[in-house]
Amino acid sequence: MKKTLLVLAAAAVASAIGFAQSSSARQQLARGREAWDQRLTKTAIEALQEATRDPATAAEAHELLGLIYAFKGWQQDNVLPGFHDEPAYREKAIAELKAAVEADPKRFTARQALQIAEAYAAADEIEPLPPRPMITQLDARIEKGRSRDMPIGDLIEALEARMKAQADAAPYFAGAQVLIDRGEYDNAIKLAEHGVPVAERFIEENLSAYQMEGKAQGALMRSRAQAADIVGWALFMKKDYAGAATKLEEGERLYRGDDFNNQFHLAELARAQKQSDRAREHYLNALSLTAGPPPARERATQALADLYAAGQKKKKPFKEWLAAQLAARQNERQKANLKSRLDTPLPKLNLTTLDGKPYDTSSLQGRVLLLNFFASW
Amino acid sequence: MPHLKTVYTKFQNDPNVAFLLVSIDDDSKRLERYLDQMKFPFTVLRASSAEMQRAMGFNDLPSTFYVDRKGIVRYQILGFEAHGDSDARVAWYIDQLKHGKTH
Repeated sequence: MKKTLLVLAAAAVASAIGFAQSSSARQQLARGREAWDQRLTKTAIEALQEATRDPATAAEAHELLGLIYAFKGWQQDNVLPGFHDEPAYREKAIAELKAAVEADPKRFTARQALQIAEAYAAADEIEPLPPRPMITQLDARIEKGRSRDMPIGDLIEALEARMKAQADAAPYFAGAQVLIDRGEYDNAIKLAEHGVPVAERFIEENLSAYQMEGKAQGALMRSRAQAADIVGWALFMKKDYAGAATKLEEGERLYRGDDFNNQFHLAELARAQKQSDRAREHYLNALSLTAGPPPARERATQALADLYAAGQKKKKPFKEWLAAQLAARQNERQKANLKSRLDTPLPKLNLTTLDGKPYDTSSLQGRVLLLNFFASW
Repeated sequence: MPHLKTVYTKFQNDPNVAFLLVSIDDDSKRLERYLDQMKFPFTVLRASSAEMQRAMGFNDLPSTFYVDRKGIVRYQILGFEAHGDSDARVAWYIDQLKHGKTH
């Protein structure tokens, strides 16, 4: 079992970074196709652009580039969390597909793809694509691996298949959590740690899909936070409390204290170390966040009830006390979210009306202003 | 942003309150379609995404700022937030500022 997992982690790293530099157009085409299958978009585009230069592979490479650009332009909303369509790729998609047809007029798939892209361009609205069925099926199988009914070998197989199918870090983090449930702590730690470079690479390969730099940065921070929290939790299960504290607190910093699981884990650690005050704080933080699986929420509520019953001051019934504590925390969190631009004058903004005329907000002076920034994507 | 339409009905005849929506879309056609669909009863403007993010310090959408009568930013909700973007909360922020309260 240990050996299998080591092989798995090594294979995953190799597939993530291991495309050998190759010179022939055929190899570039194959490399582009493989990278695109895994949604390593930047690498795929680079390789395929190379392959368009050789007449032998030009039509196929143009076609594939056209499909990638069409995906980016019209279909990637909601395929992955944080992704948005990139309208800038729409014209490029049609241009590539036209180039494919020009390079090989008999190429049926390219003509068909061109027709579809032109229909997209003319349509009022395109339904976003759902995630690929293969990905959702493999994710569901990994989730099933939590039950000891699934032999560990089958779980590993599902993990490996999911890593090969798409190069995002979800199977690393979900897999590590499942391995913790199965008592495989060391392997869980390895897998979660491997997830960080995988997440970095995947976000970098799809940077423009996030549309906003802050959003891509947020995705990156969340994957680091998730890895730290999972590693910390596995160390806790191994009773390495000092190591667990370091990792769970790293997770807390990266999450800025607002992740249910992380706060719950910190609470469990504090309770195991008989630090009642800290445990109470973290349980309350966790419950004040609107997330977390019901069993963990129940466990946290029960732990708080026990701590409250053992405490000195009991002026109110537990339920009343809990409600007041949670309301106070939610209030505080909201205040913390309302920062940076507060109490400063609204800067002069370069705004235009829908028909392109400049608009000056000083015309609104003396009125209370609700200013909302949005995008239709 | 449909909830802003609901809240707007409360303030539409109030000369002391203004709603401004700013789109940071690049794609005019898509924005047009969206606006056709939404039929907002208040002013919608456009601006460059990078410039607005720099000026107002947000990196998620929608982001809403509440500016008092002296032109000072008093509340902000960065990114969608179920509580802060609820109808009742939006109206509450505006009422607070109308009555000259800050925080």
